[in-house]
Amino acid sequence: MTRVAAPDEALVHAAIEQVWGSMLFSAAEPWPAGVAPEFETGLQAQIELRGDWNGRLVLTCDSGVAAQIAIAMLGVDPDEALPEDDVHDAVGEVLNIVGGSVKGALGGVLALGLPGVSETSASPASDECLVVAWRGAPVFVQVVPDAA
Amino acid sequence: MRVLIVDDSRAMRRIIGRILGDAGFEVLEAGDGQEAIDVLEAQTQLPTLACVDWNMPVMDGLTFVTEVRRRPEWRAITLMMVTTESESDRIVRALAAGAHEYLIKPFTADAMVEKLDLLGLLPVSVGEPS
Repeated sequence: MTRVAAPDEALVHAAIEQVWGSMLFSAAEPWPAGVAPEFETGLQAQIELRGDWNGRLVLTCDSGVAAQIAIAMLGVDPDEALPEDDVHDAVGEVLNIVGGSVKGALGGVLALGLPGVSETSASPASDECLVVAWRGAPVFVQVVPDAA
Repeated sequence: MRVLIVDDSRAMRRIIGRILGDAGFEVLEAGDGQEAIDVLEAQTQLPTLACVDWNMPVMDGLTFVTEVRRRPEWRAITLMMVTTESESDRIVRALAAGAHEYLIKPFTADAMVEKLDLLGLLPVSVGEPS
């Protein structure tokens, strides 16, 4: 049963800004209006929230963006080629921390799952996502409630 | 001094390891609570500090903290939760189970060093030449 409102865009954006700022040392600017965000293939991270609201957060970004996020998070040389597993792990942890911030802000009784990361070529529906800019490239974050 | 970092994220272990390495700690790692118990059982010299995530596969951080506190031979280990769990009831549960400090993700290096200072666990003056 859902007892708290779904996380809205402002709440999710605030959580992303907090994580970007403290862990990635970068601002999470909203994607510019009127510019269609492009996506071909990349990574999709998902994490579930269970309890007074049930659903999941889904973060999708280009593979190159995922690698840059991992490099920023780990503070390694920008030219360093990180192993694929490390990139998956870093992107999953970013979403885990965003999910934790969202959970804390939602209130109610909620449990956070463990993040899962996979490769995807399915383009996110940008009108259903919060899109933020990472160094000029889009990062898509979607709140997906369980089907009623 | 030695620290055991218990987190299922390699990225997070690396970040925490760098901060604590810079603060003078020798770093041990484990990917979940059970692996952390295995690491502790294999040590002849126990870590002074364990930094423990909450949500992990196999054995979560709260269960690990409870297990460490159950064993008298591990009583001297200082336990700090480092987790996304930010609700006050979670913090109370962790402290009641035996954690000494609680750091919420996301955090900055300064926030972690501040916690170490509160715990009296800064072996070198961070930011000063050693």
